[in-house]
Amino acid sequence: MATLTRQDLNFGQVVADILCEFLEVAIHLILYVREIYPSGIFQKRKKYNVPVQMSCHPDLNQYIQDTLHCVKPLIEKNEAEKVVVVIMDKEHHPVERFVFEISQPPLLSISSETLLSHVEQLLRAMILKISVCDAVLDNNPPGCTFTVLVHTREAATRNMEKVQVIKDFPWIVADEQEVHMEEAKLIPLKTMTSDILKMQLYVEERTQKT
Amino acid sequence: MSRDGWRKKASEDDGWGGRGGYMAAKISKLEEQFQKDAPREKQKDGTSSCIFSGVAIYVNGYTDPCADELRRLMMLHGGQFHLYYTRSKTTHIIASNLPNSKIKELKGEKVVRPEWITDSIKAGRLLSYVQYQLYAKQKGLNFTSVCAQGKQDLSSRHEPSKPSPSHPQSHSIKPQPNNTQTLSKEVLKSTHTNHTATNFTERTNHQLDVRLNGSCSIISEDDAERPRVNGIHDGDDVVDDDDDACALLPRGSQDTLLTNGYVHPVNGALKPQDSFAEHPPHVVDTGSHQSHLPQAESRDGEEPSCSYAGSKTNSHQRSLISTVSPAKQTGLYNMQKDLHPKPTSNPGTSAAPQKGNLHSQTRVRLNGSYHLSPNSSTLADSNNQPGRSGQGAEAGIISEFFSHSRLHHISTWRNEFSEYVNTLQSRRHAAGGTVFSGKEKLKKLKANCSSGSLMAAPQVRQSCILHVDMDCFFVSVGIRHRPDLIGKPVAVTSNRGPGRVAHRPGANPQLEFQYYQRKQKQYRKEKTDGDLEMTPSPHGDEVPSNGVDLDLAALSMAEIASCSYEARQAGVRNGMFFGRAKQLCPDLQSVPYDFQAYKEVALSMYETLASYTHNIEALSCDEALVDATNLLVELGVTPDDLARAIREDIKQKTGCSASVGMGSNILLARMATRKAKPNGQYFLRSEEVDDFIRDQPVSSLPGVGRSMSSKLTSLDVSTCGDLQQLSICRLQREFGPRTGQTLFRFCRGLDDRPVRSEKERKSVSAEMNYNIRFTQVEEAESFLSNLSMEVQKRLEGAGLRGRRITLKVMMRKAGAPVEPAKYGGHGICDNFARSVLLAQPTDSGQLIAAEAIKLFHAMKLDVKDMRGVGLQVQQLEGSHAGPSGQGPSRGRSIKDLLLAKQPAHSPKKDPLPQDGLPSPSSSSAFSSNQERVTPPSSPLPSTSSDPMPGTSKGGPYHPHTPNHVRTCLNVSIEVPSPSQVDQSVLEALPVDIRKQVEQTWRQREELPSTSSHLSTPPRTSSSPPPGPSLVLQLPNQPGQPCTTGIILELPDFSQVDPDVFAALPRELQEELCSAYRNKGNAQVHAQAQCSAVEQKKTFPQLKQPAVGKLKRRYKKKNTSPAKKGPSPQKKLFPGNSPAKSSPSKTLPLPLKQPGLKTENVQCPSTDVPETLSKFNPRPVPTLAGAYEFSDIRTLLREWVTTISEPMEEDILQVVKYCTELVEDKDLEKLYLVIKYMKRLMQQSSESVWSMAFDFILDNVQVVVQQTYGSTLKIS
Repeated sequence: MATLTRQDLNFGQVVADILCEFLEVAIHLILYVREIYPSGIFQKRKKYNVPVQMSCHPDLNQYIQDTLHCVKPLIEKNEAEKVVVVIMDKEHHPVERFVFEISQPPLLSISSETLLSHVEQLLRAMILKISVCDAVLDNNPPGCTFTVLVHTREAATRNMEKVQVIKDFPWIVADEQEVHMEEAKLIPLKTMTSDILKMQLYVEERTQKT
Repeated sequence: MSRDGWRKKASEDDGWGGRGGYMAAKISKLEEQFQKDAPREKQKDGTSSCIFSGVAIYVNGYTDPCADELRRLMMLHGGQFHLYYTRSKTTHIIASNLPNSKIKELKGEKVVRPEWITDSIKAGRLLSYVQYQLYAKQKGLNFTSVCAQGKQDLSSRHEPSKPSPSHPQSHSIKPQPNNTQTLSKEVLKSTHTNHTATNFTERTNHQLDVRLNGSCSIISEDDAERPRVNGIHDGDDVVDDDDDACALLPRGSQDTLLTNGYVHPVNGALKPQDSFAEHPPHVVDTGSHQSHLPQAESRDGEEPSCSYAGSKTNSHQRSLISTVSPAKQTGLYNMQKDLHPKPTSNPGTSAAPQKGNLHSQTRVRLNGSYHLSPNSSTLADSNNQPGRSGQGAEAGIISEFFSHSRLHHISTWRNEFSEYVNTLQSRRHAAGGTVFSGKEKLKKLKANCSSGSLMAAPQVRQSCILHVDMDCFFVSVGIRHRPDLIGKPVAVTSNRGPGRVAHRPGANPQLEFQYYQRKQKQYRKEKTDGDLEMTPSPHGDEVPSNGVDLDLAALSMAEIASCSYEARQAGVRNGMFFGRAKQLCPDLQSVPYDFQAYKEVALSMYETLASYTHNIEALSCDEALVDATNLLVELGVTPDDLARAIREDIKQKTGCSASVGMGSNILLARMATRKAKPNGQYFLRSEEVDDFIRDQPVSSLPGVGRSMSSKLTSLDVSTCGDLQQLSICRLQREFGPRTGQTLFRFCRGLDDRPVRSEKERKSVSAEMNYNIRFTQVEEAESFLSNLSMEVQKRLEGAGLRGRRITLKVMMRKAGAPVEPAKYGGHGICDNFARSVLLAQPTDSGQLIAAEAIKLFHAMKLDVKDMRGVGLQVQQLEGSHAGPSGQGPSRGRSIKDLLLAKQPAHSPKKDPLPQDGLPSPSSSSAFSSNQERVTPPSSPLPSTSSDPMPGTSKGGPYHPHTPNHVRTCLNVSIEVPSPSQVDQSVLEALPVDIRKQVEQTWRQREELPSTSSHLSTPPRTSSSPPPGPSLVLQLPNQPGQPCTTGIILELPDFSQVDPDVFAALPRELQEELCSAYRNKGNAQVHAQAQCSAVEQKKTFPQLKQPAVGKLKRRYKKKNTSPAKKGPSPQKKLFPGNSPAKSSPSKTLPLPLKQPGLKTENVQCPSTDVPETLSKFNPRPVPTLAGAYEFSDIRTLLREWVTTISEPMEEDILQVVKYCTELVEDKDLEKLYLVIKYMKRLMQQSSESVWSMAFDFILDNVQVVVQQTYGSTLKIS
């Protein structure tokens, strides 16, 4: 039984890798489920042993990858508090916000044998929950777009401004209107708790979508 | 053709876009050709190398050797030759001279003289191009003109008619010999001889000597009047230039020759020395050489002498340079000391820029060696840098800066006057009431008047604030003794000249101006993204008043501190640059600063005010608030009379006029002053307020500055009346909750800020953003240490120590001009700040410096771009505070000091140090003061929080202490059952504690009912601390009026800290006991425990969670044996972890059948997921000990189905559990729980359940709303 601590060098990376991989899958799935893009651009894939939908539009995929690539260093340092997929209507007012609230518990010990499969189970549950979330959400108006926001802890933002992980892919401070939604309703989707990661996913949905 | 090739913005329209393909093809073909030719050429020549591998040159214009020859050479030696310039591929541009426009275009490129190639070949290796640069990298205009001139000089001669651009050049060339003055003359002499040896003419030598002497004398005279001397010297040169027409050798270049003597051989371009035509390029060359001297040095050090001129010269050069560097240390500092006050005391002054520049040029000589940076752009810039960086190195400079800084003066005065007011007050205290002379006078006056006509008796006591403001203070003080200036437009500024200054190289005022203008525009557009996109051409952006802007460049940037009303009529404003003001108002007179006079006048103004009352708040040196409420009542005069009396008094004593505004609060008083000015008074009656304020522009509200008013303008708000239309929600959304509310109130004339005669100091800081130019990290460090010493001085002065140290740095914004428009100013900057919290409050400069330097390094900034540095110390406390507590201190609250001095108060004060307040609480008490929430009426914030000794631990005043208490309690009482304890943890405990724990277990085992422990093997489980809130609530609870009936939150008796209990007053103890006694069948235990209070650690029913919590009614109904004594089943309760303290255990009790209980209890205890319990430091939220959703569900079902009417406390438990879920970020479970409850409760036949659910839901929604900003969707 290997025991790891958070101080272990690559630990943050492991978490970040797992999480970013998951987020990629989740974002694709959200885009599919919420019908942001025509379903034609999505392909069925298998991830976490469940079917998921993944876009095959290269630009979109690149964008998502780039985004997550930039998020990764934050997660490594436990500086990302929330990753939010915001779905906005034509007027760029958010209608739905998929909030992945991340916290990394301080570790005492991890058993590496059970860890991965356990985490995978939890992530799978979350993915499944996303894929059925349309049941609890109202339909979006046509012509929606999406964007990804990151809520950072403390002063991480400034570092982000300074260091561009990917050239010409800078982060900007989100518009107030993207962050706040009027009369939002909160729909918790899933919470997972594992040794390395505690994450909950909830949706904030605008009451009047049209 | 070729020129077009590198005019990169040849853009689409001129057809190049289309022919790009052709050009590309041609270029690549040429390259191929070149590659093909290369080997052939090599063969032909026989000598070949690859010196130039990786070098690609492009030849521009005439060169010697010619382009073809260079091409051949490049072929031979492995280089590349481009016929067309391509920015990306071409590494070097070879040119002997370049026109101005090209230099501009080639900014940032390496433009090298052809000698570089020939020399490199001769040396057999690639020499650094640095000293062969055609010009030093530089962006300013001056240099280019020099270069251009240099080119002209090739054919003609130095243009003496253009001294200004060429002078910097010639001056900067001189440096070397001048500097050597500080070294030994012998060295120079020997250089001379050396030169003579290398065919220097006798005549040159002679001239050189003369020159040297000249410069020596200059330096010696410098101390007295540097700029003057420089000026003369400067003129001298000009004359020389003119006169020497025949000699054709201006001194400057002569010296060049001298300095460059060393360089030439290295250059290998040793042409006959007497050819004057040769000089100009060297003139240029020296410039660059100089700024890269160290490099040259190091290079010389490492390379074998490469030129045929022999190693002798080289070594000589080395020796010279090496002498320079030590000399520079002393010389530089000495000089700077002298120079320093000049620029600082007169920020951006007068004739200074021109002269100042010159003398900084004299400094360059000291700095030639100082400059490590290869791209220290302009010479002129580098001239300035060392002088400034030197400041950092020079101790005492900072305090000097501050002793000269106008802003600093003015800002400190406010504190001084605050203190002055306080001393007055204390004097009154001491004397038991002073005579208010002014008041007496007024009284008399009133008596006289009233004998005649009875003045309107002061109506109902209404608060009245007077805002006394001197009319254009600086001006009226400045012209106090100059009646000739009265009635004329006058401005106080440091500039006395015509308001025009020379353009400084590197500065780009237009750019800055545009930046600020754009920024303003952006504000209007509400684009907060203030990115600095510099359009390369100044005309790219349509600036409406371009003519003025361009002109602005030449105008003085000295700010106007204050201007008379006459000047204001002409459009002059405070803070305007003098040059601009002069344009607006040509006969504007400038008056110098006179700090002494300001102080005198201000002091007498305060004295005057203090002769009426001591309720004075000092706002600044010329502005004060007076709370005249009591005074008016006492005197029975109207505010207008009082104001008149005060104004007359001030006029008489100071010779300056003051305006007084009066209103029922500070805001209105200040607004009234606006109307009262100049030299008037205005009383804003409360009935007029509404009409008055409606028409006021929003910008007149305090706190509404430029940015906020432009934001308001974007909301179509210009007057307070408009602002009144906006809802508070809207305002709070736009400006944040606090500002929004303030605005909301202010625009209605509401203001509840009191007049405070004392102010708490929140921070102590020192900041300098003038003249900061560092070149090396060490300079910045030493600057920081000096700044820290300044902070220390201030901390000591205020008698404070602080814990938080913040380093604020202003960095030149990327793209902003290197040299700001304002001389020595900071220009456009980005601000960064970082702070650190120390373990101990400090006032030690060294400690602060160490931390500041650490912070500084952590910020990883480029020192060269630093424009401002500030150090701030926050979280202050009195420096006399020993470890045991905080003593009174001057800085914290003056009243503290006053009161402490008075014996009457000392008893109150005394317990404080003895009490030994833990530092967290003291700091928290302080932080609340910081937020200015402490009204002045609560005199002693620290004393007021001074708790009764007995209850101190549980006192509500100490938000931090509970932690202490809790941890203590844990150890002594709350021993979890063995099953809950990690064996390894137990083993790690000190022996005695372990024994204690084990003993407790043994005792517990002796109890009849504790027979079964579910799991004997030690299980890993968090044994979280007991709910602290309950323990702490205890002291409060009895105080509540509900003692007669139900004490809702009465914790289980086992949870009661015996210490706390014992410390309670007798009657409270009894009350508590009776409360426990009242608890029906729990009574027995309660009594037992009452007696057990003395002997702690025997808590037989520690594990019996719910007894104390049961409601009487319930207990009466169900007298099941299960509730008596600790039943085995209950021991099994997973929730009996002490963490979940009694209240949460209420719920299971309604489940009466023991069998059922065990069942639902056992299942969680068996399949507790290890992962959960293992690492979570905070307790997992549990409801009655259950945390698995299935168990919660079972519990809820039992609860709802078996009981017809829910108990309030049970509902509260559920709410608490839900709240915990929110806090634990487990919304999913919360959602499930809520939905389940909804189904259960709304199905229930009893409408109470429905109501109960609504109640729970409402509460949960509030919590969710607070945490997430939105509410749960419950369909």
